[in-house]
Amino acid sequence: MSSNIILDIYKLKIKVFFGSFRASKTSLALLAIYALGFLPSVFGFSLMITSAVKQENANIDLYVENLAAVISGFISVILLLALRGCTAYEYEQSLIFTSPVTPRKFLFASLFADLTESLPFTHPIFVLFGATVYSLGIEPPSTLMMFFLIIFFIFMLLFLKISLSILNSLYKRLWLKAMMLVFVILSLLPALAGFSTGFPLRYSLLPHPSTFLSRFLINIVYSKSSQLMDIIGLLSYFIFSLALFMFVSGKNFFQHVTYIPFVSPFDTSMRVQTLKMERTIKTFSRTGMVFTLNIESKSLLGFLMKKEMLRMLRDGSLFSVAFFYIIMTVVMSFTSISGRQGAEVPIYAFFIFFISTYSLIVPLMLVSNWRFSEFENIWIPLTSCLDPRLISKALLYDFMLIASLVPAVVVLILSVIFSISPLLPLVLISSTSIVGSSTNLYLMIKFFGKKRRSTPSFLIGWASMLLSGLLLIPTYVLTILSTYLKLNDAINAFISIPLLIYSIFIMRYFLKKTGENIINIEV
Amino acid sequence: MMDRVIELLDVWKAYDGVQALRGLNLEVYKGEIFGLLGPNGAGKTTTIKIIVGLLKMDRGSVRVNNFDIFEEPYGYKKFIGYVPESVSLPDYLTLEEFLIYSGKIRGVPNEQIRERMNHYINLFELTDKRRALILSLSRGMRQKIAIAAALIHDPDILILDEPFIGIDPAGQHMIKEIFNERVKDGKTIFISTHMLDTAERLCNRVAIIHNGQNVASGDLKNLQQLSEVGENATLEEVFLKLTEEAKEPIIEETAERKRRGFLGLIGRKI
Repeated sequence: MSSNIILDIYKLKIKVFFGSFRASKTSLALLAIYALGFLPSVFGFSLMITSAVKQENANIDLYVENLAAVISGFISVILLLALRGCTAYEYEQSLIFTSPVTPRKFLFASLFADLTESLPFTHPIFVLFGATVYSLGIEPPSTLMMFFLIIFFIFMLLFLKISLSILNSLYKRLWLKAMMLVFVILSLLPALAGFSTGFPLRYSLLPHPSTFLSRFLINIVYSKSSQLMDIIGLLSYFIFSLALFMFVSGKNFFQHVTYIPFVSPFDTSMRVQTLKMERTIKTFSRTGMVFTLNIESKSLLGFLMKKEMLRMLRDGSLFSVAFFYIIMTVVMSFTSISGRQGAEVPIYAFFIFFISTYSLIVPLMLVSNWRFSEFENIWIPLTSCLDPRLISKALLYDFMLIASLVPAVVVLILSVIFSISPLLPLVLISSTSIVGSSTNLYLMIKFFGKKRRSTPSFLIGWASMLLSGLLLIPTYVLTILSTYLKLNDAINAFISIPLLIYSIFIMRYFLKKTGENIINIEV
Repeated sequence: MMDRVIELLDVWKAYDGVQALRGLNLEVYKGEIFGLLGPNGAGKTTTIKIIVGLLKMDRGSVRVNNFDIFEEPYGYKKFIGYVPESVSLPDYLTLEEFLIYSGKIRGVPNEQIRERMNHYINLFELTDKRRALILSLSRGMRQKIAIAAALIHDPDILILDEPFIGIDPAGQHMIKEIFNERVKDGKTIFISTHMLDTAERLCNRVAIIHNGQNVASGDLKNLQQLSEVGENATLEEVFLKLTEEAKEPIIEETAERKRRGFLGLIGRKI
């Protein structure tokens, strides 16, 4: 009976969580692309690990330190997630918390549901494990032992996360949060040894769970016998986290839970989108009220562009872009400083790398925010006599303008500071913003209608990034060639012309396609 | 002969295999308040969304102000104003900005936008809220703003899906007054509602739809005769009788579907 209830809750949670994926085959296809997209880098990483392990003069102690640092990173993320307390979706409140289900049964179901839900997103870890074990030729019994050890550790993390979240919700004590934060800092502190050889703190000196696990795993890889201390250490942490879990699961924490007004993290319903945007509008509208929508605009396209600019100002989109580039400026400055101190670090190459990455993400940010803001408001222009193609044109022009203008200002400032020619970075920004904005807008509108609107935004974003990246191959190739061949500005200017023409051609193609899609939207 | 401003002929619409409209026929005349009634899932919102261009029909024809909406998908929209069932407005705009935006996209000259905007803001007693973000306004206020936006271009036909939900009694009274005023000027009001007593008092004619078909349409007298519930019967009694009767062919249809299999009935006119 009891296990039946746990199974029923588990099934319900899984169905709700993956509800949006079940709603359309496109979502499933995009999820598959998303999952497969990690494989090349996972295999590359596996090769790197294999070659490091097979090195004749491998420094095993260093590997233990590095692996412990990575595992500590995971533990810290779990602790930080637990800081916000215990959360529950609205349906859990109305369906489960009002039924005779005990907190312990609910928590057991949640534990297995959390594990299942994380699989589509954490699968690279398992693929990496499989690929590495295979290429290192580790024996099946050792492989199984490593696998169960990892699963055992994941359970320990989940026990800890759930228990600490509930303790935080139940007692709401500042000292508890402070203690967790201190533990996070202490957990990550030994990782500094990787940056400075003089740093005295080492994972191998601490009775940290990540030390026990990494030493245990690396001993298996190098066919060394495991130390009893590591086994006892890991077991103690596991027993402690299980005991804590059993203790908190006996408490009635249902009244202390913070409710999330979503059905699942991929919930795309109107109410959820509105709630998400309301917060940002409240924050940013004060500054945005300086500018208003003027009735005097002569051209309708100009008016629509102004309206979208105002939206971006008030819903925080513009701030996000600016903030994004502030981070880039800071990173660039640090890179420059370290470059001056040590060997000749190619600042220009860093510059190009950051710009090409950032300027591809910015159109996605802008288009995604538009989707969140206007998801349910699209009925307004669609029921007017306005040709919807004008809306897509206004949107695209705005996105291209913002995605190129903000970084262009940053690039000009940085080029003056670091005495770098701004020509190629500016061409790169223009090309990526034109291609990125048009492909992102096209795909977002394709998924706007009734049939596909349940597709989670992050999957559409992933597909858009992939498409933009593929279409920008000529831009990237020419930029890399120019950077490594150290071509002068005259040649760069010459190769920029076909690049920009190519980008405009892509933009015109997708603008037409977007127009065809927007007139067929059903809401 | 009265002018037909909205005409639906044999309109079919299905969502994911579920047939929402099954050859719906409907006529709305100029200068009347027309009520579209029906139980939940009857196809009222689908019908309205097809008329205003938010949904595409699978089959049939729709004419609005003599425009075939399939042939001319934008032109006819300057003659209609629409308020949906769940009103969602751009939270990041102020009331005034939203009305300007609504007027601009409907091609209203600036002077008229200003004039009508001031008129409706005063009428709906929203003067102190004109520079407030829509985000900060209550549901009733949002509904009033949506109605003001639908009227900003002075449309010939006003189409509203459940217009009285969330509006206080005074607001409802004011909206009914607006409807009556517009009808006096020869404009048409098309509303969908569950509030049968309101429909009885407000509408000149109604259509009762059930399972995507027009079960009956006309004024109350016609419907009383058609349903044979007596001349003193209320619209509610008429509605219940007609929708109950309308269930019978559906039951027969379900039995037939079971006999022939679902594919045998797809696209068949019932």
